[in-house]
Amino acid sequence: MPDLQKLYDAVLNGDQKTSVAITREALDAGTDPMVLITNYMVPAMDEVGRLFECEDYFVPELLLSARAMKGSLELIRPLLAARGDEPVGRVVIGTVKGDLHDIGKNLVGSMLEGGGFEVIDLGADVSAERFIEAVQTKNANIVCLSALLTVTMPSMRTTIEAMKAAGVRDKVKIMVGGAPVTSQFAEEIGADGYSDNASSAVALARRLRAEATA
Amino acid sequence: MKLQLTPKPGETLADQLFEAGVEFPCGGETACGGCKIRVLSGDVPVTPMMREALTAEELTAGWRLACCADSAAAVMVEVEQWSLRILSDEAGVPIEPREGLGVVVDLGTTTVVAQLVDLSSGEVLAVETALNPQARFGADVMTRIQHDLHRPGELTTVIRHALDAMIHRMAAGRVLQEVLLAGNTAMHHLFCGLSVEPLSRVPFESPNLGACLMTVQDLGWRSAVRGHVFFLPCLGGFVGSDLLTGIVATGLDLQDEPHALFDIGTNGEIVVGSRHRIQCASTAAGPAFEGGRISCGMRAGHGAIDSVDHELNVHVIGGGPARGLCGSGLVDAVAAGLIGDFILPAGRIAHSSRRFPLTDNVYLTQADIRELQLAKGAMASGLRMLAPGPVAVLWLAGAFGNYIRLGSARAIGLLPEDLVVEPVGNTALRGARMLLLAPSQRLERLRWICAMAEHVELAADPQFQDIYAESMALRPFELR
Repeated sequence: MPDLQKLYDAVLNGDQKTSVAITREALDAGTDPMVLITNYMVPAMDEVGRLFECEDYFVPELLLSARAMKGSLELIRPLLAARGDEPVGRVVIGTVKGDLHDIGKNLVGSMLEGGGFEVIDLGADVSAERFIEAVQTKNANIVCLSALLTVTMPSMRTTIEAMKAAGVRDKVKIMVGGAPVTSQFAEEIGADGYSDNASSAVALARRLRAEATA
Repeated sequence: MKLQLTPKPGETLADQLFEAGVEFPCGGETACGGCKIRVLSGDVPVTPMMREALTAEELTAGWRLACCADSAAAVMVEVEQWSLRILSDEAGVPIEPREGLGVVVDLGTTTVVAQLVDLSSGEVLAVETALNPQARFGADVMTRIQHDLHRPGELTTVIRHALDAMIHRMAAGRVLQEVLLAGNTAMHHLFCGLSVEPLSRVPFESPNLGACLMTVQDLGWRSAVRGHVFFLPCLGGFVGSDLLTGIVATGLDLQDEPHALFDIGTNGEIVVGSRHRIQCASTAAGPAFEGGRISCGMRAGHGAIDSVDHELNVHVIGGGPARGLCGSGLVDAVAAGLIGDFILPAGRIAHSSRRFPLTDNVYLTQADIRELQLAKGAMASGLRMLAPGPVAVLWLAGAFGNYIRLGSARAIGLLPEDLVVEPVGNTALRGARMLLLAPSQRLERLRWICAMAEHVELAADPQFQDIYAESMALRPFELR
């Protein structure tokens, strides 16, 4: 049985090789995969988020930690699916139509995964139709829209309008973010929440889930 | 020609001369003597650098170096560069002397520079500089584009009007043969009255990148131009004719071996190529290099720390107390911080205060260093993606290239360690002047470059995120 504290450290330090090795060892030894996520990986990513917010960590460290966590999740996910375990929530995420920038969106997606959410990443330049289709087929409860350019922010509004027209708007909570986006803009276009960084996006998603299931 | 300059707050005389299109061939590093000016009236103090580069007779005759010039009062100077013919063999664009006058314009997002040129000698007869009047509607190209989408035509009207006034003043009633303009894609579209809508969304490729020929009647100008007002063609995406003329000025398109041209600014631009192939890209570096979004940041002017040595001694432009620091000071300060272990290569300030003090009132915060990491990471990753192999020389265009210290830029991983780097000044304006002076070769050269130049959308490359993140580290790198 491996020392699971090392899994926490590996995710925190962005060491993918170690995090994957320990995860494999632990699973082979019969550790409950949910324990690995809940007791070690989620707390490690929470700490990564805290370090990012207090400016100890920056984008490269965040990406490395996310990569370490993803490596482990790839081993764990099939086991959870086979058992029929439900994630904390299902998130559909994408950069809106007209915008190619996806680093911010990737960071938010990784932090949400680290927070125990299942994340369906549609990539960049995503049309409203693709968001709607993903909500319908993936049984999602949260949709995250990202935009990095002032000129592509209007695509957030049109995506939400299209979701209303397709009758899927009320099935999900909608979160928006990206450098030019403000909480005022989020309110104007009828989103449910806004976050200005990847770490607080996790807290927001948890709150929205709690509201929805309360 | 004579140039009349009055002191402006926050700007040295060298800044003003550079803005007017005077080139500093060595960037003020080696006392090359290539930027000589003669003081006709007023006083420009002699510096040690000038003493090194100029003879006692030259100094007595009023000759000074533009790159380290400053003055407390109004001066009238003569610029040696502008009285000389452009070296035809070096540039590959010989002068074809013809009668009359022409104008070249570097239409920048922030500033506009226009030169009146004698077509028979290549001499610059007058120069006008101004802030781009569009700037009050937004500092960067994206906000300009958005403004034009909401209020079509407004920005087109103000820039056409401002340029007409500048040209009209220089021409002083004389008829011009033609006017050549260079600028980025957004400036091109806004001046020519083309739709900027394609520039507002993926893939940021406009169908109207070509050269635009207009007449004074089309533009509603009172300036008299016999031929055309010719906006040079864009290369693709946001990479415009300012980079195209940069290629002309450096002769990048005629080289056997790959060379690189870097324009470091809010919208950073990168060209890598030779006579076999040219690739170009733009990258949103942000305003850090111009002192923007930095707590104590300011433009390079009086009171700005423009250099910091390894012992953390600071140099302040114009002497006196430091008010802030400019781009070159920022790069120096971070390089010095790395040497003293005050700043770690990951960008973290080691001290728990999360501040890196330079003087009593000028300091860097953790967020400032993050801003620099984003800016320099964008430039360095662009270069790494376009030039995975060796590059003979990296040319550094624009004002920043002239003031930055190469050792510091290499130490923080902005420029690669294994390349020869040469500052080349305002290549946008020089290239436009070369095209103006070689009318018979102009179209062929433009076609040659435009046919070869391939625009690369960096963010579309799946490797971009990893290369960008890696390039944010404050440590030296090599292209190899």
